[in-house]
Amino acid sequence: MDLLHGAATVDQLRDEIQGVRYREATDTFCRLVTEEHRPLKTMIKEAIAAAAPYVQVPSHLMRLPNGELRGVNYDHTILGWRGAISLMNELEGRRAILPNVQAMWYVPQGLNVWEQVICEFPGHYARDGEQCNRKFPGPDEHVNRFDGPAWNPPKIYFEDHAPIEGGSVDDRLARMNWAIAEGDKAEAYGLFLGLAKDEANRHRLKDAILFAGIIDLQDTIINRGGYQNIGHKALRARALVDIADYLGWDDSHELMYTVVPDLGCSPRLYGLWSEISTICRMEIPEHASIPKRSGKPLSERELDVLTEALLWGGPFDVNAAIMRFFKRGAGILDVGDGVIACFQRYLIDVLEHPNAFLHPTHALDYMNVVQSWTRNHDNPHQVKGVFMGARFMNDTIRSNANFPRDPNTALEPRQKFRAWADDFPVDRLLPVLQEHVLAQDAPRSCALVDSYLDRTTERHALLDTITYAACHWQNDPHVMRNGASSLEEFRHNRTSRRDDIIRGYVKHQSRYIKRAPTHDCFNVFVDYFHPGNV
Amino acid sequence: MNNDHLGELWTVRNAAAATLALSEEQMRRAVREAEVGQLVALIETFSPARATGPEWTRTFEPLVERLWAWRDDATMAALADVFRGRGMPWMAVTNALSPEHGARLRATLRQPAGARLPAFALV
Repeated sequence: MDLLHGAATVDQLRDEIQGVRYREATDTFCRLVTEEHRPLKTMIKEAIAAAAPYVQVPSHLMRLPNGELRGVNYDHTILGWRGAISLMNELEGRRAILPNVQAMWYVPQGLNVWEQVICEFPGHYARDGEQCNRKFPGPDEHVNRFDGPAWNPPKIYFEDHAPIEGGSVDDRLARMNWAIAEGDKAEAYGLFLGLAKDEANRHRLKDAILFAGIIDLQDTIINRGGYQNIGHKALRARALVDIADYLGWDDSHELMYTVVPDLGCSPRLYGLWSEISTICRMEIPEHASIPKRSGKPLSERELDVLTEALLWGGPFDVNAAIMRFFKRGAGILDVGDGVIACFQRYLIDVLEHPNAFLHPTHALDYMNVVQSWTRNHDNPHQVKGVFMGARFMNDTIRSNANFPRDPNTALEPRQKFRAWADDFPVDRLLPVLQEHVLAQDAPRSCALVDSYLDRTTERHALLDTITYAACHWQNDPHVMRNGASSLEEFRHNRTSRRDDIIRGYVKHQSRYIKRAPTHDCFNVFVDYFHPGNV
Repeated sequence: MNNDHLGELWTVRNAAAATLALSEEQMRRAVREAEVGQLVALIETFSPARATGPEWTRTFEPLVERLWAWRDDATMAALADVFRGRGMPWMAVTNALSPEHGARLRATLRQPAGARLPAFALV
């Protein structure tokens, strides 16, 4: 027991989370695990429960006094946990706990997003994105009051509800999806809770909630401002499924409260879903019977065609390419694997500006949800998910391309450092790679990975190194989420280009903009968990 | 594919290159004769709100290469001043018109021996 602080308690953790005292909350979380010997799983559940009432927003569109709309960000606290839980299986030893400590660090900063964007509550959005302290400084000019603690309790926009029961499972699932589409959050949430009570319903319920999230996707983000969701409905649904499987569905009420109501939140966007449904009905009416794997994966030529369409084509080029693969007999996962692998060329060859990674990597994470849904469930609409993911990727690429390239953010070519990378013996290369990812030196990091991939078939330690280095940076759940997506897709990808997923991953993690230049959270992790090899 | 097919493909490629070289020559004359205001108007079409799409905006870099190859420093400085005055939204354009970037481009824009044109970016 720490005599200075007294024993850490769950009540203390809850107060610190709700009070936006993220440093203290992280400290308490670590102490509960290391000093009080509380199971990590239980502490994750408690942290989710403490945040659950405060992550809903009335809408993801805020109407401004002049009549214009601005977007309101989606809750990211749950996405950090989903990524962290997934990465526990990927990192060696105590290093596997780091993503969880990072997720914990973020949770208190991610509450009451609506109030944050209007500078009435502290947290990540108010402090960083909105720069609220410039607009509304406190008495001490050296203190950013939007870093916390909170001066008001967080608001609750959606109260917890009771389960809705009665009626057939088919009927309740249909009503739930209808309620989500119509924005009836209470009905959707109540039905979900009722269905989730019976273990026999859960597999179908997972399929239904993933379907509801996947079909809600903007047709374009180009010049749309906040009128989009950049895949967050699908990402939330995936987080729910994965975390509930980890915590146990009977211990996941607060998780459901966190996720399900937001699926019905406005805006709900079905334009792209309607387009893809129409073209599939017209061109491949038998699409519901297309197998997941067909024994006819994409050829090298087809992978080239798909890369060209995704990176340099327009939306109808993407539709046409994918349609051709399905019509000639490729399976759903065959094409999905191709989409994941071909997209990597954008990360590897094209992206340079650190800010420009955000939207394309959301599309990658969305496509991972589609692939995971296809791998684990049987649903007649899964072919359409591949079109949706590919279109999302292409749209984010086109959106970035709508801005002239800034020569001041140009990168040196990775090939320039290949001979340098080849000079490191393979068994001594990974520590050098970690050093260069931490230095955010993308060309050298990429050259080291190219060299490693060419000289050895070992992949696990390579992915461990990149992921662990990436998780040094705080305040950003995207890091864990993208790590989880990339590693999962690498494991499952059957194309000849699956190593490109690692090349894209290291480029992303050694170049993507960082939300904090320091490693304070990582240092807390080291102090408590003594991971070694740091 | 037979041997004749490769030859035919090379003939087609050469015809495309000849067409492109002619269009580059016409563009060079037009860029050389243009007033600063006309060049500003052309660059403004690369704004995300005005561009006809990514296919147009992706040609910004090839245009910048040609501007640095075909116009003098004073013209480029005048263009940079116009866009610098418009602040952050035009920063990428301003940076592309900076003398540092121009020096870099001019130093790397090679003229292959026997080629009619420097090795400009195409798209």
